[in-house]
Amino acid sequence: MKNNAINNTSRRDFIKKMTAASIAASATTIPIASFLSSCSSSVQKMAASADSVILLWMAGGMAHTETFDPKAYAPFVKGLETKKVLSTFPKLPTVVDGLEFSEGLQNIGKVMDKGAIIKSYKAADLGHILHTRHQFHWHTCYEPPQSVQAPHIGAWIAKELGPINPVIPPFISIGQRFTMGEAEELKAFHSAGFLGNEYGPFLIPDPSEGLDSVRPPQGMSLKRFEARHKLFKELANKSEVMEQASDYQRESLMRSMEQSYRLLNSPEAKVFDLAQEPKEIYDTYNTGRFGLGCLLAKRLAMNGARFISVSTEYEPFLGWDTHANGHTRAKGMKALIDKPVAQLIKDLDETGHLDRTLIILASEFSRDAIMEGRPGVEVRDQAKNQPDAIENIRHYGMHRHFTDGGSILMWGGGIEKGLVYGKTADERPCVSIEKPVVIDQVHQSIYHALGILPDTHYTIEGRPFYTTPDGNGEPILDLFGKPMTASKEKLS
Amino acid sequence: MDNPNWLLQFFGRLHPLVVHFPIALLVIAFFFEMLSLKGKRNGLREGINLMVYIGAGFAMFSALFGWLLKTQENYTGDLVDNHQYTGIATAVLALATAFALKKSKTKNPQSIKLYRVLLGVTVVILTIAGHLGANLTHGEDYLTSVFPGKGSNYSNEKSGVLLSELSGYETLSEPQQNKLNIEVRGLFAHKCYQCHSEAKQKGDLVLETKEGIFKGGKSGMAVVPGKSHESEIYNRIILPAGHDKVMPTKGKLLNSDEIELVKLWIDQGAYWSDQAVKIFPEADLALTKPELPLNSIENHPIDKLLDLYFKENNLKWQKAANDRVFVRRAYLDVIGLLPEPGVVEAFIKDTNSNKKEVLIDNLLNDTTNYTQNWISFWNDLLRNDYSGTGYITKGREQITNWLYKSLESNKTYDQMVVELVNPTKESEGFIKGIEWRGVINSSQSTEMQAAQNIGQSLMGVNVKCASCHNSFVSNLTLEQAYGFASIFAKEPLELNRCDIPTGKIAKVNFLYPELGAIESDHLSERLLQLSEVMINKKNGRLYRTITNRFWERLMGRGIIEPVDEMDNTPWNAELLDWLSTDFVDSGTDLKHLIKRIMTSRAYQSSTVNYKTEEDLKKDYVFNGPLIRRLSAEQFSDAISQVIAPVFKAVEYNPTEEKIPALRIWHQEKDLTNTVLPLPGKRYFRKTFNLSNKTIEKGLALISVDDSYVLYINNNKVGVGNDWTQVGKYDVTAFLVNGVNTIAIEGVNTGKEDNPASLLFSMQIYLKGNEVVQINSDKTWKSTAVKPTDNWMKSSFNDNNWQIAHDYGFNNWSKLLDFRFNGNQDEKLVRASLVKQNPFLKALGRPDREIVVSKREERATLLQSLELTNGTFFNNVLNKGGLQWLKKYGNNNEAILEALYQKLLGRNPSVNEKEILLAALGKQPNVEQIQDVFWAVLISPEFQFIN
Repeated sequence: MKNNAINNTSRRDFIKKMTAASIAASATTIPIASFLSSCSSSVQKMAASADSVILLWMAGGMAHTETFDPKAYAPFVKGLETKKVLSTFPKLPTVVDGLEFSEGLQNIGKVMDKGAIIKSYKAADLGHILHTRHQFHWHTCYEPPQSVQAPHIGAWIAKELGPINPVIPPFISIGQRFTMGEAEELKAFHSAGFLGNEYGPFLIPDPSEGLDSVRPPQGMSLKRFEARHKLFKELANKSEVMEQASDYQRESLMRSMEQSYRLLNSPEAKVFDLAQEPKEIYDTYNTGRFGLGCLLAKRLAMNGARFISVSTEYEPFLGWDTHANGHTRAKGMKALIDKPVAQLIKDLDETGHLDRTLIILASEFSRDAIMEGRPGVEVRDQAKNQPDAIENIRHYGMHRHFTDGGSILMWGGGIEKGLVYGKTADERPCVSIEKPVVIDQVHQSIYHALGILPDTHYTIEGRPFYTTPDGNGEPILDLFGKPMTASKEKLS
Repeated sequence: MDNPNWLLQFFGRLHPLVVHFPIALLVIAFFFEMLSLKGKRNGLREGINLMVYIGAGFAMFSALFGWLLKTQENYTGDLVDNHQYTGIATAVLALATAFALKKSKTKNPQSIKLYRVLLGVTVVILTIAGHLGANLTHGEDYLTSVFPGKGSNYSNEKSGVLLSELSGYETLSEPQQNKLNIEVRGLFAHKCYQCHSEAKQKGDLVLETKEGIFKGGKSGMAVVPGKSHESEIYNRIILPAGHDKVMPTKGKLLNSDEIELVKLWIDQGAYWSDQAVKIFPEADLALTKPELPLNSIENHPIDKLLDLYFKENNLKWQKAANDRVFVRRAYLDVIGLLPEPGVVEAFIKDTNSNKKEVLIDNLLNDTTNYTQNWISFWNDLLRNDYSGTGYITKGREQITNWLYKSLESNKTYDQMVVELVNPTKESEGFIKGIEWRGVINSSQSTEMQAAQNIGQSLMGVNVKCASCHNSFVSNLTLEQAYGFASIFAKEPLELNRCDIPTGKIAKVNFLYPELGAIESDHLSERLLQLSEVMINKKNGRLYRTITNRFWERLMGRGIIEPVDEMDNTPWNAELLDWLSTDFVDSGTDLKHLIKRIMTSRAYQSSTVNYKTEEDLKKDYVFNGPLIRRLSAEQFSDAISQVIAPVFKAVEYNPTEEKIPALRIWHQEKDLTNTVLPLPGKRYFRKTFNLSNKTIEKGLALISVDDSYVLYINNNKVGVGNDWTQVGKYDVTAFLVNGVNTIAIEGVNTGKEDNPASLLFSMQIYLKGNEVVQINSDKTWKSTAVKPTDNWMKSSFNDNNWQIAHDYGFNNWSKLLDFRFNGNQDEKLVRASLVKQNPFLKALGRPDREIVVSKREERATLLQSLELTNGTFFNNVLNKGGLQWLKKYGNNNEAILEALYQKLLGRNPSVNEKEILLAALGKQPNVEQIQDVFWAVLISPEFQFIN
């Protein structure tokens, strides 16, 4: 990585130095520092309606017709015609008039008055439907492979905005392990890419062990931890080489050690400790690792984390990647997410954090019972001989990758409440028929909420590299209900 | 639809007009006010008063209109906000000033003072508001861009020189026409391409190509040969600044010489040259070996050149690094390991005057360790790794074995390059690239990757930009990039601009055709030709690039930076070319190059403190080597050497063949879909033949998730139900000459579908040193149907069984001891040969998904967290603590001395000893020793190579 080839065009350094409080204060007064920096910078910050982001990742391809955009219910009977299967669950109303969810998502249905749903997400056409490739595309906005390493959206946000709370890493990834199938392909986008490791994800594969990553090593008392650090500092300060090392080298080494010491020794470490939660709250969230991930995300968001992703975890054939037994598996997945997601929204809302926290629930693509890819686009079909009738319940469900009509849920951070955006067809193929949305728009909407300009970019190897390819994609302003200038009043 | 607020919008747009009134009025009022201080020039009074009143009124309207402009047209941003605040403040202050002025007419001396102060403050805030407003309309670099040294580095003196050279002629000769055209096109490139290139055709005008220029754009004919006044280009560039049709709209206008030159070119018939425009500086292809300065007091060629360089730059030589520092530096640079304490002491005592050279030779001759250190550099550069994207789908191949053997035998660089671009089976991974399944961007085809990687790694030229469109940062064109990529293509390639097909078929060509033609319909011949062209000795770029990389590795900063951009200016061109030529003269011996640099006084000097990273970028002046950080591999190898082994097993073992067994299972299908293995019993068979030679020994390894029963030739060999415990069996007794059958009953437990797998390997030693290896792979057969009882026998017919399936799961990848000869002598497991892991990654070993020619040296939070509380690192230190405690007991002095000698090559100072003894206490326990390890390992002295 050629650090020196990156021309910084952002004001991150300045913003980084400011705590959330002083950013808030700067909106009402004219701090002299910001006046000066606007003279030397070519990039201005827009008004932001959100400070942090939680991405709830439905890994493996979540079928919209089985979850947030149900169609006609075809109950299972032996010999059921395959082409009749659009949804394998009945629909139930939500708190929003006219919006119905598939059975098993009633809790999320109850908090839809606090958020919006996009029903018309079109995933890219990558010729060959592969989970990790589509996930790479979703998270970086770039189709792999790329000639420079594309940063994860969390890394962009960490780079542009820095941490809110200086001792909580700005980009935290919860729930995904990297020892499973396609691990290398997953690693390829869980990365800050050319922005540098500094902005890479802080990984917490198991949320119940989150605390371990932010406290002194296991078995080390706080006293011993402090003494060890003191010993290091005493030795370092007496060292001759410190005189010779270039100032920036010495500085970065000492600063990073000091930072991690502060983090590991700070009261904020408790934020990572799920045991601090009352039992009934813990139990509500505890549907498994994903549920606990939501609980950890809640605690982190309330204490100044910038970007958090919580994944149901991708592993081939597991999670939402249902290639058989789809109906039963979908039931299980819905049970995994329904309560914790709803509780997360409620908890953040009740504590007032929802206003400045943007929550997104999304998946790399949708699924269908018959069609691979989407109409009009040629992909490699992985199942040519679909039977006309279903004899066994194992074959009842959404077992094909479908790249149109995906649902994305959003709450908070300026998102219009109760909004239903876009529409899909009620008959197969259940494609987007109104206001189709592509990934560039999703990313730009997130950046828009955070006040990151749409043309944010860095020059790497002589090439300008934007947050979205060529800086394309407009934020979907309808999601925010009204012009962004109004959101600023909330700050003061 | 009409904007219902059109009137508000109209007033808003009046803002830029109206603002000038208060500015002028208030500033002049203030100026006159100053003139009338102390009762002088009373005649101005009346005028000043009027100006303040009118100025205040306009200030109010300006602020109001400004606010309208902002809200009606959705201006946002800090700059706008700050302009708004200061603008409103100006209006309020101006009104207050006017009010104070009115009051002061009552002759109250206090209020006249107040009025004057207010007027002063108003003018100051007004100036700030005005400045911010001007930044909004003109851009923030409007003023500063005209400062000398700012903006485009394009030199416009050339235009004037050429103009005076040509202006005397009535008609121009062809060479003159050529020159004129190239100059004019260079001018267009700098002034116009930003908007009028093939990639960005503003006003439908392309100035990059002949067709584009003579076709013109929306506004008409850009160039009418012979008639400058009818040419749109000329008519636009002569317009005054600020005119709404003036060109260029961005950046500086053309100066009079430049305008005249364009005019001359058009009037002379707008001749079009066939030569390509070299807009960007380009390094000469060939090397020129400079004469070494005569009469230099220095002996080493590098030092002779540097001595001159230092004199020219008024610099002095750094003093020589002391022996301790030198030994440690040399060890880490050549073999990547720390010197043993005895080595350091012996070296210091050695009075031989050429002891440094002897040490360097000895290190370079330590082949194994040299190879295992430098292989990391090459892995980074050639994008080779033991794991990464593409491997599980066979879209990528390693070149590890080839690379290791090449370094081990010190293959010449020429030979390495030949084998990389015209590969053998073992080295083909480099140009094969990484193939992702599905549709990919045309600039990422594997052929284009080959061109990009050869360009970057071997030639120091950026082909990446040009693989999408004509490069904006070099002279490379899309056609050149496709021509280069076509060398590796089985079929002719169609040019794609920004991923859109152009219909043009690329003509096979190397980037530098002057080195030799590449023309053949056969891929293999083209690769052969390319390999010859690459090492053509006229291709100085190849040698300069690697020489510069080695200099950077050993000295901390390249002679050219960034090291991938070899068209940049070197800080000493003679030095670079001398070293490169010397490298060529040595027969491209890589060890020679290392030795050449390391034996110089320059390498052996003390390190230099450059205050900031900026000092290493622009205007860098060499004054000695930099302090460098230990690489991830050096850091962990040092710990393995001194504290406790960091890694258990290598991923690539040069002396042991990797067991190519696959994790297989019965392919579970549901209708036509492959699904996760269902719970239940599955049966696996493999039949193979052994010749009639005596079977001396047979060994089998097996690991099954979740359980197995293993049979060989109908004999039950063993059972197991824990995949982490590798079953090792001596199966000699069960093997027969002729047909043999392995039969395995595997069980996937659980209630639902879940991952399952079988891993098996068998080595059979036959008389005459013949070894037969049988591995689980896709030649095995499987079934889910319970077979008849004789299924373990060779006579059983498994024709209707399925081919076993490789699910591609690797969630058993935790280190299994799946080796036949596990208990060998414990050798140091070098980090360069292990698979990428979180610890090495945190310390800066890159994921080799793209070429990495320089690692991040900066310490990061994620890195320090890994070092501070990472379980992995902590466990290693703990293990080390136990071993040291066992060895040294409570002999604290001995612990400290050994630790310092081994890690830092010196004894602890009195001060340090005091601190550390206190930390150890009288009776040290494991924890105390461990913490002392930690504090010394984290210390900058250990982490830096000085």
